This record gives sequence, C-alpha cells and structure tokens, in this order.
Amino acid sequence: MASSVQTSPRIGKGVPPLRAGQGNSFFWRRLHSLSGIIPVGVFLTEHMISNFAATNGPPAYNDTVKFLTSLPALIVLEWVGIFIPILFHAGYGIYIWWRGDNNVTDYPWQGNWLYTLQRYTGIIVFAYILFHTYTMRFTGVHLATHPDQAFKKVHDELLHPWAMAIYVIGVVTASWHFGYGIFLFCAKWGIATGERARKRVRAFGIAVAILFMVLGLSSAYSFVNPKNQVPANSAASVNSSTQSGMTQAPATTDNQ
Amino acid sequence: MANKTVLIKIKRQANPESQPYWEEFELTWRPGMNVISSIMEIAANPVTRDGKKTTPIVYDSNCLEEVCGSCAMLINGRARMACSALIDKLDQPITLEPFSKFPVVRDLSVDRSVLFENLKAVKAWVPVDGTYDLGSGPRMTPDEQEGAYPLSRCISCCCCMEACPQFNESTGFVGAATISQVRLFNTHPTGKVLKQDRLSALMGDGGIQECGYAQNCVEVCPKDIPLTKSISEVGKDVMKKAVVDFFRQ
Ligand code: SF4
Ligand code: SF4
Ligand code: FES
Repeated sequence: MASSVQTSPRIGKGVPPLRAGQGNSFFWRRLHSLSGIIPVGVFLTEHMISNFAATNGPPAYNDTVKFLTSLPALIVLEWVGIFIPILFHAGYGIYIWWRGDNNVTDYPWQGNWLYTLQRYTGIIVFAYILFHTYTMRFTGVHLATHPDQAFKKVHDELLHPWAMAIYVIGVVTASWHFGYGIFLFCAKWGIATGERARKRVRAFGIAVAILFMVLGLSSAYSFVNPKNQVPANSAASVNSSTQSGMTQAPATTDNQ
Repeated sequence: MANKTVLIKIKRQANPESQPYWEEFELTWRPGMNVISSIMEIAANPVTRDGKKTTPIVYDSNCLEEVCGSCAMLINGRARMACSALIDKLDQPITLEPFSKFPVVRDLSVDRSVLFENLKAVKAWVPVDGTYDLGSGPRMTPDEQEGAYPLSRCISCCCCMEACPQFNESTGFVGAATISQVRLFNTHPTGKVLKQDRLSALMGDGGIQECGYAQNCVEVCPKDIPLTKSISEVGKDVMKKAVVDFFRQ
C-alpha cells in the first residue's frame, strides 16, 4: 500500500482536472459571450427600433428601410456586423449547449431553469433567424434595391397566420435570450458581482426583454393592422388590401 | 407509532468496474435519525428488506457534524451531506446513490481527488515555506477577515461540482469550489503573491469560462458559501488579466 501513495489514486476516468494555462477555450467562450452583446445585441436593438417605425404607417417604415439600405458598404456591414457574428454565436452556442448537462429535474431552481431556457431560446431564435433571413433577405423582393416595397413585403408575409405565429415566437424568444443574456454577461464578466448588484442587473435584463417583446409585437401588429394596409409607393391598386395574396405574385416577379 | 418504519433504497456497486444494482432496506423508525445513522444501523445488521443477507454499505463519513465534507452523496437525487440529512425531512422511500460525476470506488464511496488536483492546479495555498523565518505576515483588517471567513468554510465536499450542469467529462470544468478558493487566497495579504498564477490557471481549458451561471452550486453548498459572487469576482479579475496580458505581453 505505502509504496503506491505517491501516485494519484484516481480510479477510472471521471471529470478531468483543470488544464491550467492550456488551450484557448477561454478566448472563444468569452468572445461568444461578448458577441451576444456586441454586435448581435446591438443589432437586435437597432432592428427592434427600426421596425417600430411600422407603427407610424407604411411611408415611415419604407423611409426607415430606405435609410438603412442606403448605408455605405451595406454588404460588408451585413456580413461582418450581422451574419458572421450571428453564425458564430449560434454555432458556438450549440457547441456549449451540447457539452452541458441539463439537470432541472433534480435541481429545479430558478437559476437552473433560466440556464436551461437560455439554451432552448437560443436554438429557437437561431431557427427563426434562418427562416426570417431566408424569407426577408434572400428571397422575394430585394429590399436593398426596392425599399419602397418593404412594408408590403412584410405585410404580405404576416398575413399568413403561420408566419405571424413564427414571428411572435421569434420576437418573444429573441427578446428573452437577449435580456437574460445581458444579466449573464454582467455576472460572468464581473461587471455586477455582489448579490444585490446581480439582482438589479437581472431586473434590468428582464425589463429589456419585456420592452423588446412589446416593441416587436406591436411592430408585427402594425403590419396587419387594417389601418396600415395601403402599400405606399407601389403600383398595386388601392384595394390591394383585400387581394394582397393576388397582387403579391406579379409584384414579386416584377422586381426580381 | 411502534411499527413506523423507514424505507431506504441504496444503489450499490461492488467495485469500480462492476455494474450497479439496487437494494432496499427497511428500518424501525427512531427519533432524530439521519442518513448516516441509518447506514450505520444497516451495517450492524446487513439484511435487505426481503430478508436476504448482504454486505454492509461502503460510504465515507467522519465528523458527523457537516464539517469534514466526506459524506456527500445523492439523497433523493440531490447532492447533499448525509450526516445532516434528517430522515424525518425526506420523502420516502429514500434513495441513496453515489455521486454521478465521480468514479465510484464502492457503493456510496466515490473518488473526489479531482478537486484536490484542481486546488493544486490553482495553487490554493499561502506560500510561506522557506529556508529562514519570514517573520509574521501582514495584518488583515476585520473587513478583510469578514470577507474571507465564509470562503474559508469550504469542506471540499464537491456538492457544488456534482450539481453543476457544466461540470462533466466533456467540459472538464474546474467547478465552483476551486474558483472560490482562488478568491480566498487572492484576497489573502500573503497569498496574493500567487494571484497572477492562479488567474492564468483559471484561463486554461476547463477554467472559469465554462461556468454557465446556472447557480446550482450556490443553492446546493452546505456551507452557504457565496459561490456565484466568487465566480463573478474572479471572473472580473481573470478578464482584467486577459486584457492587460493582451496589451502587455
Ligand atoms: S453557477 Fe452554475 S455553471 Fe457556474 S459553477 Fe455554479 S452551478 Fe456550475
Ligand atoms: S464550495 Fe460548498 S459545495 Fe463546494 S466543495 Fe466547498 S463546501 Fe462543498
Ligand atoms: S460526516 Fe463530516 S460532513 Fe458529514
């Protein structure tokens, strides 16, 4: 017995000890955390505010889209500021999710539920973003060249109850994921460390989540609000609100 | 009252390689029973519920007053200390299992040496060894003492690691206890000479970044150590060091 005391008595595998000073998972994991705030969170904030212009009617919305699509180096902004960061955040996020163990059944506590929820909302938001960019950015009327069709494009899509349901889910999950993500960011980076400070930041994050839900849902509603159903600057007839499904097809092919 | 009994299901395993199996025991209820006293009673008369003779349960325990940290196990699925788990406060049948994330030695006894390895990796000590007398160390203010004392109560039970969703074989996460010990020794007036070493150790794979802030650790810790605060505080120090290193190295 005595002779074997010096060697580590570990039996079997188990969880390996800390690999002090090795690897670069610290960099990637913190970059993932940061990317959720900058630029993805910043973009979400901009997107929520811009879309809120829809509540002022089609012309206001189309003007906002016109302004955004007139930004210089749009394609670079899109890829570097939005698409690549989102793809990285989602991809690395799925990797994080896959490596964690869900244990809410044994430890059904609030923090643990929210940890779990952060993973599920993340995957739902990502699926939603794929759908959303496919329908809004990569298919249909190209808005960068036809910003005046923006309101109509969203309006036509949201008329489908399924699309509306997907939007509602997307807005709610994205708002929550970002709001709670603000708390996680501040807690992990040591911006709020004490018990009370962390509670305050969490309340702030939840307030942001609720605010974004309200912004997002009221924007979504304005696209189908009967008051707003006149597609501005479009060649379609005035009564298109009742036939939007029919006017959509020619408009789309015209502009391709 | 005379016939009141306690039903206990125990997950047993003869050796590290063999398959686990369940055994049921029924004990006569007595006032003030706890999980350890029940296993002791089984050891005195190792007979299962259906009258089969068996071997006594292997388990770790020492102090019997929640200060040594050895008796941690899964009680009704949750990581906690067996010596302070009162039978009257548990739903029956009571299930006892060894920790699920540590290699089983036998029955309820597991190998928790990973925590010791982690503490070594972050140099969780005050370096005072030398060839001559260094004299007395700097004084700690009462404020510092009050901050450090709760952290010093860690009993290395590993409950915080077992309950952590991020502590597993694929992350190799270091766990909350070690991070909290880093905070303890980094705030110690003599211990802080190793602060930079400890922070860089925690940046390695399996380091502090793996924490997903599920906060199970702080809920489950039998010594009520403010683990999430430790994680945030050390997270801040590690982040600062990462930024400073980036510009200075
Ligand atoms: S906060 Fe959660 S993820 Fe972090 S160490 Fe504690 S239990 Fe694990
Ligand atoms: S921090 Fe708490 S739960 Fe973790 S090992 Fe120490 S005493 Fe146990
Ligand atoms: S026997 Fe020491 S903590 Fe339970």
